[in-house]
Order: sequence, then C-alpha cells, then structure tokens
Amino acid sequence: MKPNPSPPKAGGMALGRTVLPIAMLSPAVLVTVAIVFLPMLQTAWMSLHDYILFRPKSFDFVGLKNFIAALNDEVFWISLRHTLIWIFLTVPSQLLLGLAAALLLNQEFPWRGLARALIIVPWALPSVVISLMWVWIYDSNYGVLNDFLLRLGLIATSIPWLADPATALYAIILTLTWQGFPFFAVMILAGLQSIPRSFYEAAAIDGASGWRQFWHITLPGISGVLVTAVLLRIIWVANSIDVIFVMTGGGPGYATYTLPLYAFIKARTNLDFGYGSALAVLFTLMLMGLVIVYLRRAGKAVQT
Amino acid sequence: MIIKKRSLTRRLLTVDLPITVILAFALGPYVWMFLTSVTAKNRLFTFGPSLVEATMENYLRLFKTVGFWNNLVDSFIIAGGTVVVGLTLSIMAAYAFSRFRFPAKRGLLLQFLVINMFPVVLLILPLFIFMRQLGLIDTHAALIIANSTVAIPFSVWMMVSYMNGIPRSLDEAAMTDGCTRLGALWRVVMPLCLPGIIATGIYIFITAWNEYLYALTLGGRNVRPITVAIQTLIGEYEVEWGLLTAGGVVGAMPATVLFLIVQKRLISGLTQGAVKG
Amino acid sequence: MKRTVMGALVAAGMLAASAGNSWSAETVRFWFHFDNADNPMSNLVAKFEKQNPGIKVEAENIPWNSYYDNLYTSIIGGNAPDAAMVKMFAQPRLIEMGALEPIASRVDGWADKADIDSNLFNLTKGNDGKTYYLPLQYVVLYLYYRADMFKELGLKVPATCEDFREAAKKLTRDTNGDGQPDVYGFGFRGGKGGHDHWASLTLSRKGANLAGGMKTDAALAGSQFVVDLFRKDKVFPPSAPNDGFKETIGAFKAGKTAMTIHHIGSSNEMDQTLGDKVSAAPVPECGGGRWTAFGDESTAIFAASKVKDAAWKWISFLSTAGNNAEFNSATGQLPVSTKDANAWTLHKRRFIDATVQSLPFAQLLPNRAETSDFVNTVWPVNMQRALTGEISAADMNAKIAELYK
Repeated sequence: MKPNPSPPKAGGMALGRTVLPIAMLSPAVLVTVAIVFLPMLQTAWMSLHDYILFRPKSFDFVGLKNFIAALNDEVFWISLRHTLIWIFLTVPSQLLLGLAAALLLNQEFPWRGLARALIIVPWALPSVVISLMWVWIYDSNYGVLNDFLLRLGLIATSIPWLADPATALYAIILTLTWQGFPFFAVMILAGLQSIPRSFYEAAAIDGASGWRQFWHITLPGISGVLVTAVLLRIIWVANSIDVIFVMTGGGPGYATYTLPLYAFIKARTNLDFGYGSALAVLFTLMLMGLVIVYLRRAGKAVQT
Repeated sequence: MIIKKRSLTRRLLTVDLPITVILAFALGPYVWMFLTSVTAKNRLFTFGPSLVEATMENYLRLFKTVGFWNNLVDSFIIAGGTVVVGLTLSIMAAYAFSRFRFPAKRGLLLQFLVINMFPVVLLILPLFIFMRQLGLIDTHAALIIANSTVAIPFSVWMMVSYMNGIPRSLDEAAMTDGCTRLGALWRVVMPLCLPGIIATGIYIFITAWNEYLYALTLGGRNVRPITVAIQTLIGEYEVEWGLLTAGGVVGAMPATVLFLIVQKRLISGLTQGAVKG
Repeated sequence: MKRTVMGALVAAGMLAASAGNSWSAETVRFWFHFDNADNPMSNLVAKFEKQNPGIKVEAENIPWNSYYDNLYTSIIGGNAPDAAMVKMFAQPRLIEMGALEPIASRVDGWADKADIDSNLFNLTKGNDGKTYYLPLQYVVLYLYYRADMFKELGLKVPATCEDFREAAKKLTRDTNGDGQPDVYGFGFRGGKGGHDHWASLTLSRKGANLAGGMKTDAALAGSQFVVDLFRKDKVFPPSAPNDGFKETIGAFKAGKTAMTIHHIGSSNEMDQTLGDKVSAAPVPECGGGRWTAFGDESTAIFAASKVKDAAWKWISFLSTAGNNAEFNSATGQLPVSTKDANAWTLHKRRFIDATVQSLPFAQLLPNRAETSDFVNTVWPVNMQRALTGEISAADMNAKIAELYK
C-alpha cells in the first residue's frame, strides 16, 4: 500500500481532515472489532487453558502447554505441510486460470455478456453442493472422471482419487481451483476496465505487439488489483475448509488435513477448545508472517 | 489489443474457442448436476444421470414440500442486506484509507486482514453468546452483521486498491468546484470506481449467499438460508441426491443472473469517466 | 482460575436465556434430524397441539452432519432446545455437561411405559445409573447380499469370517473382460461411521473389546483381517478407505459390490432398485462370537428447560403407539412401541427377519466420553492409515487402546 500524502491545506480544513476519516472509518472498525476482534482475543485467552467444552466447569490456566503440545504433535506438522502445498498450488492455479479468463472476457465477441455471467457459476454454488458433486465425479466406481479417462485410454484402471493418500490432496486442490478461479476472473476483469483505451491506441500506433502491450500496459494497469486479489485469496484459501471437510473429512488418514481443518476437528468434533484455539492462534501467526513477507515483496514489485 | 481489426476466423480461434474450453471446465460439473436433478431416483444408480425420462419432480418437491422458496427469500434478505451494509461501510472506510493520511493507517489496514485470518470455527461460540445477549439469535440482522464482518475486511482492501487507481486530482478538481469531501466521493470517486464496486458487491453477495457455519449457528427456525436447507438433505443414512442437486442448480442462479444484469456496468464506469475527466 | 472471560460470558448467556424464555411458558422447542426431506414432522406437531391445547411445539430440523456440534454450542451458549432427538454416543458428554434432565419418575408414571421393551430402557440408561433417554426408534445392522450373485456362483450365505472371506474373494470378479474387477466382494465403509463394519469383524472375537481389550491377539487378528481383505485379497473397492455410507450403499445398488453391512433404513430403496436380487442375513460369526451395532435414537429433555412438563408430554407422545409408527414411517427405522412393531408393514419381511435375528447379539459402543472421539476421529483416521499401508493393524489397535486407557 503506497501512502498517498494529501497536499497540506490551511485553516479550517485541518479539523475536517482529522475528524472525517475517523468518522468514515469507525463504523467498519467498530463492527469488526466487536464481532471478530474481541472473540478472537477471547479465543487466544482460551488457548492458554485446558478447556474442553463438555467439561465446562474446569477451565484451568496451563500457560503455553497447548502450544508446546502442538509443536510436538505429528499431526500439526503434517497439517502444516499440507497447508503450504494447499496455498502454493491453489492460489497460483486460480490466478492463472482467472487471468486467462479475464483477458479473454475483455475481448469483444458477440456472446460476451453471457460468457461473463456463466463464468461465475462455480463460485456461485454453495460449497457443500460442489463438494458432493466432485466427490461423485471422482468416485472410482461410477465417477465420470474415471469413466472419461478410461475411455480415452489414459489410465488402465479406475483410480480412487480421493481414497489414495498420494492423490487426495491434489484432487481437492483441483476442485478448489475450479471453485475459486471465477473470483480472479471477475476482479481482474474489473481492473482491466480501468485501463484507458487511449493507452492501447497509442501503443498500436507505435506498432507494439500484443505481447508487448500485455506486458507494458495491461499488467502494470492491473497490478494493484492483482496484488490485492492474490493477498485476499491467500488468506481465503488458507482458511477454506468446507470443501475438504465434505470431500474427505481430512482423510484418508491425515492425507488432507490442513491446519484450519485440524483446529476445526479439534474444536468442533473433539470439543477440545483449548487445543483447537492454540492451533488457530499458531496458524494465524504463521499466516500473518506469510502475508507480511508477501506485502513487502509485492509492494516493491508494484512500485518499481 | 481491442482496437486491432481482426478477421472472424482469427477471433474464433483466439477468443471464442479458448473461452469455450474454459466455460466447459467451469460449467461441466454444473451440467452434470442438472442432469442428476432431472433423473428419476430409481434410474440414478442403475443408469446414471441422463436426459432420458427426464423428470421435474425434484424441483416440484423442492418448492412444494421442502419449502425451498422461504429459504431462498431468507438467503436473499441476508445476502442483499450484507451487500448494502458491507458495501456502505467498506466504501466509506476505503475512501478514508485511500485519501487521508492518519496515524496507525497501516496498522488498521493490517487489522482488517488479521481478523480474516483467524479460523471462523473458534469465533462461533463467543459470537453466539454475544448475539444471544443482544437477543438477535434467529434473526436476519444477526446474519447480516456476522456476514458483513466477514466481507468488510476484504471489501475494504479491494476498494482501496480500486480507489488508489483513480487520480486524486479528480476529487480535488471537484472540491475546487465547490463540492464537499463527501460530495466528491459521491459524485466523482464512486462513479469512477463503479466496476470495482460491482466486483466487490458480487464478492460480498456470493460470500454471504454461500455462508454456512454462521447461518447454522445464528439462524434457526425462522431464518434458514439455502445453505442450511440444502445441508438438511444430507441425512444420516441417505442423501437426497435429486433434491440436493436441484437445490444447487437453483441456488447458483441468483448470483449468476445478478451478474448478468450488472456486468455491463463493469465496462461503462471507469473508462468513460476517465476519458471525460 | 475460576472466574474467566468465558465463564462470565457463559453465565451471562444463561441469564439472558432464562430472561428470554419466561414469556413463552408453553412453547416446546424441539430439535430433530430426519433423512426425509418432505417435512413429515408437521403432521405430528399438529396432532399433538390439537390434543394438548396450550402447548406449542417448535420443531426444528437440524442438518445431521452438524447436529451435535450445534447442540453443544447451543447448550454452552445458554440457548439449548427444551427437548431433542439424541443418540447414546453423545450421552456421556451431555451428562458431564449437566445438560440432561433425569426422567425416571416421569417414565414410571407414564401409562404407555409397558409398551416399550424394558431392555431398551436398560440399554439407554446413563453410566451414572439414572434414566435420561426415552427410546424413540432403533435399527440393527446386518449383512446385505446379492442373492442372484450368490446363486450364480453356488455360494452359501457366510456363517463365519472364513466363509465370508472365501465368498468375498469369489464374488470379486471381472464381468466385462477388461482384465479389471468390476464387482467387489464387500463394500467396506472406511470413512467416518464405518466402525460398525470393522467392529462386526473384530469386536466379535472373544477377548476383543474397545475398553481394555484392544491389545489382545483377538483384536489384532480382527484388524489384520480387515486390512488383509483390502490389501491382500483386494475384495473391497479401491475407494474403500474414504467411502461413507452414500458411497457404500450407492456402489451396492449399482451392482459394484456383492455384500455390505447396513440396516433396514436403506432396505426399501435397495428393494426398489434391485428387487429380489437383494437379500439380508445376520453378520457372520468371527473368532467365536458375533457383534453387530445397535443403532439407537431416543429423545431427552434438557436441564435448562423451563417447560419440562410440556416437553415430556411431547416426547412421550412421540414414543406412544400410533404416533411412533407415524414417526418411523417417515424415518424408515423401526418403532420402539411393541404394538406398532407388531403391526409393522413398512419394510419387506426378509429385512425385518434379519433385524430380529440380529437383535440377540446387537450391542452399543462403550458408554464413555471417549466413544465420541473414537467414532469421529480415532477410528476413521487410523483405519484409513492402516488400509492405505501407512501404519500396521497393530499400530491402529494401539491408538484405540491409548484412547480408552
């Protein structure tokens, strides 16, 4: 985020310049602080306690015990590894596919309006529905994917995509790519609209090729939106568990556990809120680290 | 790129064909879902989904006996309300972030991100108790507020990046013409970043439309959006495949139709404005 | 640390709950889950409200896969329903939370008590000896098999685990000549909820027992038997480690598997799809004993309820002859009312017979707080790891023993 210093003005405007931003910000800040930030602090507080939901009477302070337990927990590290694979495969795939779709949808062709609307269908479907649909598509007995690949002769036997620890995570990543790429398409498309046509006209007169136009006009023009969209998507994808939960529930074994899913299962299924909170806090801290690194790097890349 | 005159064949090959491929990927599972929803129950597992002997029975059941219409209305109120609340608050906040300099600006912006990083499942219980105290359980308001807090952080960030793309000289020009700050926001900045507002609005709508965990916990008998209604079709021993897929087919429509209507605005807003300005 | 943020909030929540409920003295909030989307509950509610003017029932259908999560959240948040449908595996936790209302005296004073088999009351008794649950419906798991395939191959319905294995091997066949099996002997449920399959093949063995008997040779033989069926004999479909009930039942209906274990609730659908080709029998005897799961469903009143008398009227209404049959014809399970059971016509005879023959050895999992974790995480995770070869059957049993230590 590049700070935009406003030119100093004299006199009575100064008060307006301090009060107005506060007035404009406070509703959004207040509502998020009350609804999310305070519960978040409470949860952080819970992570320092032994707190099991079906034993509401015992709430003993145990310091960092839950955190130490997490670091010694095999499943924590397995989940962390999966979380990284999950983020670093899903976000770029969504981005590339979304970028391609947005560039194409920005061209002129007769059914553009319809195509633009249809592209958001995967994103507009409730997660539970698409998850069940994809489970069915991947099914090794009567799934359409195996059927398709068998007919093309690409595979010799049906592959149990979701039941094989080697493929399960990647199968879900494909589903999430499918679900999420329209987000990038819509955001980038909106960004593309903000590039003045005159830039392309000038470039065309200079005889710049399509590729050079893309590189020197399109990409810089959407870089701000791109950086933000990727940032928001990293956070969203990292936290996204509903599709995994419905498709495999984390299985087979721990093959599709990610950290938020592990925290979810600990807190919601095992009712171990102390440990679940500790996992959530650890996850948030790590994600924050990743985001700060990303902002530093991407911020530089955009400004140069 | 847009300007260059191209032959029809070339357009078909470089635009229509690839976009068809992407659309096929995007819509394939949806079509599969539609086929499932029109296949009779006794044929589904023996012959698989197909148009042969297609039946609309699942759709009739969905609306007649399951009462899906009420769920759609609930979802509409919640998603629409979230768009109004979330968008209003985010635009105001984004304008402040984009146009003013004040202490703790970076910190506040990061705060918005951090609250979206925390796994929602652990926030449910404190939030439930909070809403209980306010007496908001099982009301649309509870879900609009909860969904807004999920949407606001992302929306603020999106809107800041769209607003930063609009030259500041434009609002200053408006203000020298006698506009107030808010007048400049309303008359100059908002029209110019209309594509961004629409994209963000769509984002908020879809997020609220598809939200499940809050809807389940904070909703109830009176407020039951489609995500919860669809989930009740997945029983302990039986999945109502026909109803489930019919619900999915219907459930995806509002956002798609809405986008079909507003997508033209994605084109018009900024480009024209920037040229005029 | 007694006074805490959470504690204070919980207390405040309870206060708010009591304040909020005082106006609705005769409204019973009831939670249920149904595998039937057509909302058949409303007829029963209407009938009840007509019989009991002054009591209003707000029945809420909660999605099954979030049912207990949501129930616990609402109890902690001070917004629990007055009564709800509940299962045995949740009982130890609910008792520990102090959430349940003992109902022994109400049951004793109930005119229709004798219509429900006293054994059902014993089975659903709390681990502290008190009565909290009123039985509502039940099922018993048994073996579904493809009678036509058995006949074609000249096989007999397996009576023991050894027969079962031999039959499963023979039934796993390539029927279209592409060199790949397309019918598998047994549809094993390796996903959450599949512990019943494993238990029938493992806990049946003499000496194998979840609480305290998982390190025995018998228990090891059982888990190893399951793993070998998949990894060595390859008689389960390759997707077995992740399959839930919809996949196992779907595969059976589609003719991809020749046997599976489930209960009467799916029999009508199977009969519709497969007709006479499907039949049923009790699960085989393994290692000198038999084990099959008793699938229970009861109702309970919550301690925080302000309308316990009305709530009792409603739940006892549901377990009374006539109403109980109506309820069960919606859920597809079996009525607890003896009168209703004798007049039962909803299911085909052969499936009722298999259920009745299985009753003598039908069991529940240990009535302990750990059982929830066993069902939801420990069993599925370790079974799946064992099936995919990440850990051995002995490791799996050790993990379960650790849970119940």
